[in-house]
Amino acid sequence: MILQSHDLVKSFGGVTAINHLSVTVEKGMVLGIIGPNGSGKTTFFNLVTGVYAPTSGHVTFDGKNITGLRPHRITEMGIGRTFQIPAPFSKMTVLENVMVSTFIRASSLKESRKMAWKILELMRLDEKAHTQVLNVTLEDRKRLELARALGTKPSLLLLDEVMSGLTPSEVKGAIELIRSLRTGDLTIIVVEHIMDVILSLCDRIAVLDYGEKIAEDVPDQIVNNKEVIRAYLGDRYSARH
Amino acid sequence: MELFLQTIIDGLLIGGLIIIVGIGFSLCFGVMHIVDFAVGEWVMLGAYAGYLMVRYFGHDPMIYLPVIFLIFCALGWMIYPLIFRAVSGKGHNPVIMGLVFTFGLSILMKGGALSVWGYHIQSITTWLSGKGISFGVLTVPALRVSGFAFGILVTLLFMLFLYKTKFGIIIRATAQDRDTANLLGADVRKVGALVYSLYAGVTGMSGVLIGALFSIHASMGTKYATLAFFVVVLAGMGYVPGVLVAALVLGLLQSFVTVYIGGRYTLAALFLVMYGVLLITPKGILKRGI
Amino acid sequence: MELQAAKAETLPSSLVWRFTPLTLLLVISLIYPWIVSPLWIRLGTEVLMWAGLAQSWNIIGGYTGYLCFGHGAFFGVGAYITGLMMINLGLPFGLGLLVSGILASLLALIIGYPTLRLRGAYFAIATWAFGEMIRQIATILDFTGGAFGLQMPSYLNLPYFYYVMLLVTGLTYLTTFLLLERARFGYKLLAIREHEEAAEMVGVNTVAIKNWAFALSAFFPGVLGGVYAYWVTYIHPDSVLGAQITDFMVVMAFLGGIGSLWGPFLGAIVVQLVQRVLWLFWGAGTFYLVIIGAAICAVVLFIPNGIIGLRETRIFHPREAISQLRKRIKW
Repeated sequence: MILQSHDLVKSFGGVTAINHLSVTVEKGMVLGIIGPNGSGKTTFFNLVTGVYAPTSGHVTFDGKNITGLRPHRITEMGIGRTFQIPAPFSKMTVLENVMVSTFIRASSLKESRKMAWKILELMRLDEKAHTQVLNVTLEDRKRLELARALGTKPSLLLLDEVMSGLTPSEVKGAIELIRSLRTGDLTIIVVEHIMDVILSLCDRIAVLDYGEKIAEDVPDQIVNNKEVIRAYLGDRYSARH
Repeated sequence: MELFLQTIIDGLLIGGLIIIVGIGFSLCFGVMHIVDFAVGEWVMLGAYAGYLMVRYFGHDPMIYLPVIFLIFCALGWMIYPLIFRAVSGKGHNPVIMGLVFTFGLSILMKGGALSVWGYHIQSITTWLSGKGISFGVLTVPALRVSGFAFGILVTLLFMLFLYKTKFGIIIRATAQDRDTANLLGADVRKVGALVYSLYAGVTGMSGVLIGALFSIHASMGTKYATLAFFVVVLAGMGYVPGVLVAALVLGLLQSFVTVYIGGRYTLAALFLVMYGVLLITPKGILKRGI
Repeated sequence: MELQAAKAETLPSSLVWRFTPLTLLLVISLIYPWIVSPLWIRLGTEVLMWAGLAQSWNIIGGYTGYLCFGHGAFFGVGAYITGLMMINLGLPFGLGLLVSGILASLLALIIGYPTLRLRGAYFAIATWAFGEMIRQIATILDFTGGAFGLQMPSYLNLPYFYYVMLLVTGLTYLTTFLLLERARFGYKLLAIREHEEAAEMVGVNTVAIKNWAFALSAFFPGVLGGVYAYWVTYIHPDSVLGAQITDFMVVMAFLGGIGSLWGPFLGAIVVQLVQRVLWLFWGAGTFYLVIIGAAICAVVLFIPNGIIGLRETRIFHPREAISQLRKRIKW
């Protein structure tokens, strides 16, 4: 397996955001994480990427204990991540944004530029390469977010609600894009609210509630899981399927 | 023993006066996320205003307090739109822009004062100057007591205003969540202008008292900016109730250092402590800051 | 910086156009002392010093986005260190300068490591406090001469100091060019300025980079301070550690254009000239402070990107600029 969280706990003052969470992710799979707002999905990502240090428990990546390491070290080791609200380097160009993320993999500025161009072409952002991100649309910023994460050549990619704010046709395009990334050994964890996306992309789904994992299974089973249905999918959805 | 008590009293009294400078400043940051680097200069200008009033109209400076409050409120009301513009530029970090703008403002004010009044030191006296109040074995300067009382009074009025009036609630709401407050109908710009002019008014007013207690000169702003920063850092930026405690702590610290170590070291000691606090608990000793 | 990708593919003839102004500048600055009067040499020396100081501030303030309001402390510390080294240890001038620069950087690392953990306003206040604290300490200590300062033996002649300043400032700009405009280091600084968390998340070691930037930004003021000490031969806490040093650095960098290579240089020239003009008409006084303060406010309000930033705006689109101006005049 590539990622494992062992009995992870994270408290902020009186609030326990993550409550004894243990998750195992196999190499090459796409794991979906769903749950209501406040269930700890983003906190989990923050714990894995080193933004927060857990109150207790630990995280192993590729067999190594990465708990307490600084985010840039974890990125170097192979975990890439997008932010829910895009966090681009606004006054720099699209190209420069991706270039920065390739610094840990490229040996020179020239090579960085080459690598960045390739990614921009893949994400169809190459035409906006020299535009300041300030002047770029939300959809492009989301794609830039993904492009930047890819720039670090991750073996594990964490996508935090990449679809939010996109139109249905944009969502379709995004799903295709993510599917195309699966060539090679890339492991992906997707946090999403849009059920269609989760169901079509993921091999397995974990469901969080109040920082705990209340279910983990293949999509078909999750859809039929009584607890999950009642709490998150709503009775109408389960009736339809 | 007597010296010890005296030092404590002195410290508390000074602290009470410093509260005023701290409260306005803290509120300014809490509501508008603006660090007004010119806070010391507002005090300085207030002191000079008091001086001018006395020079041209005579009488006791204390009677001009309300007038000066209004004048400085008006000044703040006029300057705020500029600050707002500075902070609202597209694509620029608002906190940084606000900082630099008020930084420029402080230089402008100080330069202006220096140009008009030079390096001379002035002072003003009131009917309370030189008089003492006895509390048993200790005699305390009446002026300092009034400064303390004034500080407490202003604090109480501020608290009343913030927690019991409609405006106060709007201000606190804007401080906590500007966007929601905006959606609920609060005109964020007007709120900002109101807060800033109150802050300018109160700070300017405190300058008169400070001018009566200490000397007035164009460079005095630095000292009070330090005190304001210190109080607010200790209290946690934007956390107004903490200002009371922090100001008193500050007064005591200053008093003890002056008496037991030496006046020269006071400012240095203050800086060291402020520095230490910033590094250890950036959100203030009570960890309630922004 | 987005022009760089285009620049990399320019034709050789365009390179000539790019380098000609620079070469011209270099030539003029080299023969300058031979063609002007001592008064102008002095002015030139001072402009060079400030250009170097403003650029140094630009490294941590403009490129990295951490506004240091106590940066003048490194200048003053450098002045004192060189002075003390030469008076007490008899070190040669050049070595004294080097030691000043290194010690200033060291001080920056020591102060920076804890302070750079603070953000925005807190960092500004902390560095402001730091600057004032250093001044207070210099006033209290005995071996620094306390409030009376240090007196240095008069060294060499005027043009000598001019060339030293030119050398140091030139190095400052060259270093900034190589490390910040043409290397990954610069990109990382900008990334930190724009969004520090994101920078960390894409692999930038923000803590290390920030600290190196801060140390670098302190080196040149340290050296320049040393040169200044020997140039004016008398230093004291208010002259080299006073707030006005930082004030000038900030206004020059902002006026010229923070985050740009030549902005601080432009800013230095403009501010120094304005100051001299004011002194001419109003006498050596403090009125220039009013202008400086107003200038900072005006820059923040109207040209937050500085004079350099104007390149991209109104000069090329006058009609647009006028309509924008009309809209702005209503508060």
